[in-house]
Amino acid sequence: MIKPELLAPAGDLERLKLALLYGADAVYIGGSFNLRANADNFSLPEIEEGVNYAHKLGKKVYVTVNIAMHNKEFKTLLDYLKELDRINVDAIIVSDPAVIQIAKENTNLEIHLSTQNSTLNKEAAMFWKGEGVSRIVLARECAKEDIDDIKKNVDVELEVFVHGAMCASYSGRCVLSNFLTNRDSNRGGCSQICRWDFDLYSDEKMVEGDRPFTFCTKDLSLIKYIPELIKMGVNSLKIEGRMRSGYYIATVVKVYRKVIDEYMNNPDGYAYNLEYERVLRRCANRDSICQFFDGTFDESVQYYNGRTEVTNQDFLGIVLDYKDGFVKLEQRNYFKKGDRVALFGPLDEFEITIDKMYDEDMKPIEVAPHPKQIVYIETKFKVKRDYMMKKTLDKD
Amino acid sequence: MKKSVIISSLLQAKELKDLIDAYIVPIDDFSINYDKTFSIEEVKKILELGNEVFVLVNKNIHNNEIDELKKFLLEIESIFVNGIIFYDIAIVNMKNKYKLKTPLVWAQEHLTTNHRTINYWQAKGVEYAFLSSEITKKEIDEIRKNTKAKLFVLVFGHIPMFTSRRHLVNNYIKYFSLNDEFGGNKIYKEGKKYPILDRKNGTTVYSDYILNVTDYDFSLFDYVVYNSYLIDDMKDVLIDNKYPLEHGFMDKETIYRVKKND
Repeated sequence: MIKPELLAPAGDLERLKLALLYGADAVYIGGSFNLRANADNFSLPEIEEGVNYAHKLGKKVYVTVNIAMHNKEFKTLLDYLKELDRINVDAIIVSDPAVIQIAKENTNLEIHLSTQNSTLNKEAAMFWKGEGVSRIVLARECAKEDIDDIKKNVDVELEVFVHGAMCASYSGRCVLSNFLTNRDSNRGGCSQICRWDFDLYSDEKMVEGDRPFTFCTKDLSLIKYIPELIKMGVNSLKIEGRMRSGYYIATVVKVYRKVIDEYMNNPDGYAYNLEYERVLRRCANRDSICQFFDGTFDESVQYYNGRTEVTNQDFLGIVLDYKDGFVKLEQRNYFKKGDRVALFGPLDEFEITIDKMYDEDMKPIEVAPHPKQIVYIETKFKVKRDYMMKKTLDKD
Repeated sequence: MKKSVIISSLLQAKELKDLIDAYIVPIDDFSINYDKTFSIEEVKKILELGNEVFVLVNKNIHNNEIDELKKFLLEIESIFVNGIIFYDIAIVNMKNKYKLKTPLVWAQEHLTTNHRTINYWQAKGVEYAFLSSEITKKEIDEIRKNTKAKLFVLVFGHIPMFTSRRHLVNNYIKYFSLNDEFGGNKIYKEGKKYPILDRKNGTTVYSDYILNVTDYDFSLFDYVVYNSYLIDDMKDVLIDNKYPLEHGFMDKETIYRVKKND
């Protein structure tokens, strides 16, 4: 049984480091030519710094180059690919086959095929393998039988999305954003029209449920199915969300890391831990299900509750230092003396009640109301830089 | 330049026989975005009308559909259509694997946006490409200058702008236990009406407008395409097109970065 890679998103260098620190084996990032044009994408020096950081830990960095290319974009593509090659990125994630061709002819870059190409079957997988693609990121519409059959029939690495938001459409087949907002979804401008509300009409009569019509789907979570994916031989388990927060990435990566390791360390004695599911649900604040993995895609996959994903207030702060029994913390959300909180790092977690806390000048304070406020909290637990503090979960 | 129509019925195919050069025929089980699809027997009848025939196999092919697809491709090979307009790359692999001779038309809808990729597919034995409707006339002309592939361009009709495997209309109706006896559906937003079609293979949403770029010069292109879906008077359109001009993205470049990455 091969241990799969845990692959996490990273929207910037800080999140890249957090993802790797919290247990990802590899991260994927966007520079130029990627499908998150409005994220804080990486400059080439930042990519280089990220790659060097990852390689020192024995981990990997993949760079997305996965837009639908227009004629003019090719003018700067080759120089960019050569730079990625020089920087020694571990692979590029590509959707346009002309990019594959240019990369193969001019660089030594390893090539992964993006999910944007919607690979759903073994014949397409065979074609791409023949084109020199070393890994295929499968379409999110694949059922487990599809993944299994492709793996058995095609000698190519498979990467499967296991967690995060879903496109309502087949990847690459939605240009709602182009038509409704003039932003090109296949070049990174997606304005998430699928989450808008619409009025549905049949002939001239409105068809009205308790909530408006929307395309919006629940999120994906395959946390329960990790053992099945490992048994199938899937090479990489991918978390979606390059625009997500560091807290989200750290939490999700940590949970998946635990599940993979627990299963790999003792496959026969492995037992699914419901608590992990609760942590993930709380962190995303949206419903998640296994989507197409079990072959169903009925009304239960839709999200008709409107945009209720209020900003998550669970993340209270990030640890900057620990010295002489005091945690130095940078505040992210309001907390106060007497709160029950959890301090967590990549491998451990401690619950404490905040008995004493102090401001930057070590004057006692009752509340920490300000974003980025520096706070000292007294605790016996020896935490480290980049540990995080969160609200404890209600035991419901 | 030849005129082609994505047809909606056999009767329509007969009516348009002398007005066009080619039929584009959506196929049972393998087409998406069109209400009416055709069996191989019907394709044979359309071939008898004497015009060129391209079959439209534009759905994403799921792994469990590969055997049926193989059967279809072998059958279609024996009736000598002019080409297969395809979305899924499985078809390229199967053409090579089974040494099929029927020409292929690369038609990945919104992804056929540049000449280098068209030339890539041409080198793989794909002779034609069907251009995206979301690029400008300037880009389309650049593509023409830089490829020897034969090109299809949509010049008239609603444009599919969203395709999902999910049954979005039926899911909504079921979830809220609504009356499911509905006719043609549309979704409304900010005063605009977008046709939405939920059928066996999934859901498609179309542009609110009917593209009409028949005033542009496409004489250097091989096929101009008229989409007859939701158009009742296709014959009139071909004889004397009275629809208002609607240029879509021909003169309007999309943007994708609203915040500069410094």
